[in-house]
Amino acid sequence: MKTPSVIPSSAWIFLIWLILMTLLPFSLILGMSFLQRTDLGNIVFAFSLKNYQQLLDWIYIKVLLKTLWLAFGATISCLMIGFPVAYFLARVQGPLKSIGLILLFIPFWTNFILRIYGIVSLFGSNGLFNQLLASVGAPQASILYTRLGVYIGLVYNYLPFLVVPIYSSLEKLDPFLREAASDLGATRFQTFRKVILPNIKEGVLIGSLFVFIPMLGEYVIPDLLGGAKEAFLGKVMVEQFFILQDWPLGSAIATVLSVLLLGALWLQNRWTSKNQQPQTQELGHAI
Amino acid sequence: MLLHLEAVTKSFEGFQLHPLTLSVERGEFFSLLGPSGCGKTTVLRLIGGFETPTSGRVILNDQDITRLPPHKRNVHTVFQRYALFPHLTVAENVAFPLHLKKLPSAEIAERVKESLKLVEIEDLQDRRTHQISGGQAQRTALARALVGKPELVLLDEPLSALDPELRMKMREELKTICKKVGITFLLVTHDQEEALQLSDRIAVFKSGQCLQVGTPKTIYEDPSDTFVARFIGAVNEIPGDIQGEASSETGEIVLSSPLGMFKLKKNGHALPKQVSVILRPEKMRLLRSKSTTQENLMEGEIQDLIYLGSRTEYAVKIGQSTFKVFEQELERLKKRRLNVGDRVFLAWRGDDAIVLPQST
Repeated sequence: MKTPSVIPSSAWIFLIWLILMTLLPFSLILGMSFLQRTDLGNIVFAFSLKNYQQLLDWIYIKVLLKTLWLAFGATISCLMIGFPVAYFLARVQGPLKSIGLILLFIPFWTNFILRIYGIVSLFGSNGLFNQLLASVGAPQASILYTRLGVYIGLVYNYLPFLVVPIYSSLEKLDPFLREAASDLGATRFQTFRKVILPNIKEGVLIGSLFVFIPMLGEYVIPDLLGGAKEAFLGKVMVEQFFILQDWPLGSAIATVLSVLLLGALWLQNRWTSKNQQPQTQELGHAI
Repeated sequence: MLLHLEAVTKSFEGFQLHPLTLSVERGEFFSLLGPSGCGKTTVLRLIGGFETPTSGRVILNDQDITRLPPHKRNVHTVFQRYALFPHLTVAENVAFPLHLKKLPSAEIAERVKESLKLVEIEDLQDRRTHQISGGQAQRTALARALVGKPELVLLDEPLSALDPELRMKMREELKTICKKVGITFLLVTHDQEEALQLSDRIAVFKSGQCLQVGTPKTIYEDPSDTFVARFIGAVNEIPGDIQGEASSETGEIVLSSPLGMFKLKKNGHALPKQVSVILRPEKMRLLRSKSTTQENLMEGEIQDLIYLGSRTEYAVKIGQSTFKVFEQELERLKKRRLNVGDRVFLAWRGDDAIVLPQST
């Protein structure tokens, strides 16, 4: 692929923004992860791998695995709920579609904290959910401040981010492909499996990574819905910075997390470019 | 008789297909011709199973398929925009219907190869659909529709997305391929030349109604309606009144029109008093001077001319009307070339004129 020789002027703004807001802070974090600190939390400028060695401790590995597992599960749940929703929205016409799309976008316009407190009031001990249980004589369910609470919060909060890319890849699909498949003898299920799914799997994968990656670093949701017991990677990281005053260790966690995310992005990129080789080539010619 | 539509109607908002009864013979190349919005695509979709008729029956091979879903009909379609599957290669696209039939892979490979060879794209078999040109995509779509050996292939404006030069070439090839495979084809088109060239029979549609069904020659030479006459080719029209009865020996009738009195031949149609006389531009002769002839004569002035090599198209002003006349360039060094402003005479024979009731 050819790279453009001259960077357009508008791209400079983005480049400067990227350097100032992303590359620079990230370098600082990376640098800090190799430093040490005094017991009072002052930074000692001496190179050390101690922070990373500390992370090899089973406690941290367990937190990492737990976080990966929870984020993975929440992503799968988002897919299971989000896919039919996206499919329905792409197929339906008329007022139902407009209403559906508005409902889909309302969460994007609603304050994040507000949405989380919505969950709190829904599942709290006196919340709607428990009132409902009580009214049918069922025992109280403690969802808030458990892992299930974090899980529900993650699914609830990230669902729209998965529905949108799947919906848009379904919308982009030529509607005649469905007719062509059916015309050539495919049942509805065969059409879905052999034509629709292969053509949108990239959108599904990208959407899944779009929710999985930020879920890993999530801090607010586990903090507000998980309570003190639930150790989540993002939460542990923030605690290192602001409660335990161990900036170097916090930085090491942040670095590990970033490397994981970059690895996932690289894999995804490689996977899609392998599947879409000709298209990238074509794009290269267009540029 | 392979396909039979029996009083089929379809209505949806802003459109109504009038009861349509139509039969297509096995092995025939049949075209539905008409301007956009005339209902021809609706008829195709009813046959393909993408729409269900409001009333009436669709019968394929003596079996009522009116309510059968598309995947259960032995009818395949070449879509206007081809609708090739972008995640598959050319060969995989062609193999798609065979895989659904769960045929053994050796047979699939063989039939795919055969189909690709038929449309002459064997060397493209491993290409992705976005790596081929419009004409190649067209061939792929055709191969995909033919490979399953359906009883009927529907062609939905298959050539309209190609550029004019390629369209001409593909038209020729389509004809050759259709003759070779011996399958029944049903073409939907708005291009009258395409319909004339490819079809055994044509049905002309206008606003949800089938006006005439016939061979290309019938449709062109003996249209049943002024709309059909105008749609299928260039026309000159002379409105007028029939004077008296037809002469019993010659069948001659006399037309009185603002351009003069003309002799016509009575044909089969029962005619009202007010008629429209239709003259094709190639059925009129351009005379450089008045001659004694048995033909009808009209005097006029050349308003415009277009030299096209093999023929010249003249616009001749007679009274308030302008007539189109096509003259074959028969002699290389014509004695007298005509120019704009020259006085000329148009000669035409009464039995070359199409006499139709005036359209409202």
